[in-house]
Amino acid sequence: MAEPMELLCWGGDWDLPSVHTDSLIVLAYAKFSGAKLAVKSIDWSWRTITASVPQLHCEGSTVTEPTQILNFLRKRRFNADYELTAKQGADTMAYIALLEEKLRPALLHTFWVDAENYANLTRPWFTSHSPFPLNFFVPGRQASLALSRILLTKAESPLLNITEVEGKIYSEAKECLNLLSHRLGNFHFFFGDTPTSLDAFVFGHIAPLIKAPLPSGQLQKHLNQLDNLCQFCNTILKNYFTDASAEKRMDCSPTATHDPVDANLQKLTQLVNKESNLIEKMDDNLRSSPQHRPHRHETKPLALAGERNLTPP
Amino acid sequence: MSLAAEAFVSQIAAAEPWPENATLYQPLKEAQILLSDSASSLAVQTFLRMCGLPVLVSCRANAEYMSPSGKVPFIHVGNQVVSELGPIVQFAKAKGHSLSDGLDDVQRAEMKAYMELVNNMLLTAELYIQWCDDYTATEISRPRYSSPYSWPLNHILAYQKQWEVRRKMNAIGWSGKSLEQVYEDVSQCCQALSQRLGTQPYFFNKQPTELDALVFGHLFTILTTQLSNDELAEKVKSYTNLLSFCHRIEQTYFKEHDRESQSGSSRHSKGSLP
Repeated sequence: MAEPMELLCWGGDWDLPSVHTDSLIVLAYAKFSGAKLAVKSIDWSWRTITASVPQLHCEGSTVTEPTQILNFLRKRRFNADYELTAKQGADTMAYIALLEEKLRPALLHTFWVDAENYANLTRPWFTSHSPFPLNFFVPGRQASLALSRILLTKAESPLLNITEVEGKIYSEAKECLNLLSHRLGNFHFFFGDTPTSLDAFVFGHIAPLIKAPLPSGQLQKHLNQLDNLCQFCNTILKNYFTDASAEKRMDCSPTATHDPVDANLQKLTQLVNKESNLIEKMDDNLRSSPQHRPHRHETKPLALAGERNLTPP
Repeated sequence: MSLAAEAFVSQIAAAEPWPENATLYQPLKEAQILLSDSASSLAVQTFLRMCGLPVLVSCRANAEYMSPSGKVPFIHVGNQVVSELGPIVQFAKAKGHSLSDGLDDVQRAEMKAYMELVNNMLLTAELYIQWCDDYTATEISRPRYSSPYSWPLNHILAYQKQWEVRRKMNAIGWSGKSLEQVYEDVSQCCQALSQRLGTQPYFFNKQPTELDALVFGHLFTILTTQLSNDELAEKVKSYTNLLSFCHRIEQTYFKEHDRESQSGSSRHSKGSLP
């Protein structure tokens, strides 16, 4: 059972193990289900134009597309959805359809069609991660695929122009993000305390949007206002992906003290965060207490409301 | 329509009550309409009946071209024309008729998610079977789609539509799928719907919502339409609670009206549900 399975995917940047949504979905699911994957990035190789990423190689067979790869892993007993009820399994399918239909067009637009983002972020990144002479072709091909997908699925006859479709797809995407936020509520993951395939799909879609330094990102701004989704993304990165980056650091400089140093640093950061939360809560309480001049509380309601919004829940 | 125009239209819509002469347009029932269009049209009709809004069904050969978005069905209410279930639901809501008011935010999120599931899987599968499967396209879809037109227009329009649908399938990655895989996807979608429905009368317990209308539209059409083989209908029939769900909605919303109006509801079908 311990044959190494090899996954081909795009490389990582901006604190993420991969910048490509589908690759992130597979990586996250592998972490959740405990599958050991040997991750090979296709950067700087001819595979950037020949392979359809992500691709799983195992014992001679090749599987592409996230849903197929997840099915394959499940058949191999790497199942993160084991504890879901039938209804939750049905909900998973429904929410994945929602993501694909409403969020993906807007993500494709943000990264590949929006002129500023494409010119300043996406194209340079993909060009620098492709070998010569493919770096001239790879980003352009992806961009045209993204544009045609958006136009064919979302543009109906009076909306043949991409600018008119933009408004529609962004409003649908914002609605979709709001719906996800409502569904997640205050929980760590979508179905209780353990992550499942739905968490992998949501993570794969929203992580690039949160972490990428987009020059013009109205969707990113909207997402940053949804605290629980950002928290969700950071939790997964912290719990499932930082050990990977810590291992990488260990590989480059073989000193065993780095691992406990990182762990200590994490604990310290958490303590400092908790302290600052406590201090802010105390500050809030002091401000709203009756001893603290009440007329000031009435004359500056907006300022206090602004401060309340800033304090984390 | 741009967002500002949509908001403006819904303001105007809110001003008037639902008129008596609202009309729903769809392609010709006997000769022209295809599975996917019939399903969408039935979904809209079911939704309007659930809201208690009267609508006359009018069959036109050029319904697709009259529609503002190019998709059928569309309704003509007062001096406004609205097409597709999503905008029609919003339009009805602007006029004060809504089925999903009693749902809280999480339930509404679930309802939207399930509606997307049906659109994503069932509707796309129907389109695939109609236009990307060569046998069905040649024997059924192309002849039916172009039946009102004479040569050479019928060939041109049929092939144009087929090419358009195949391009869309290519863009979303369905062109690599085989027919078996598509049937498997339909089966999984039905399984998800069946598990969500459970033993409840409707998807959100006591009251029907637009999700019930959409699911009924698609499932009923699949069950009662004759295609080249019955495999699609068999997939749906294997889920008994979905079958009884369809029966229940047919009994509640269609049988009494049919008895009252005595309109010959002859469909391109094997009759009512088995």
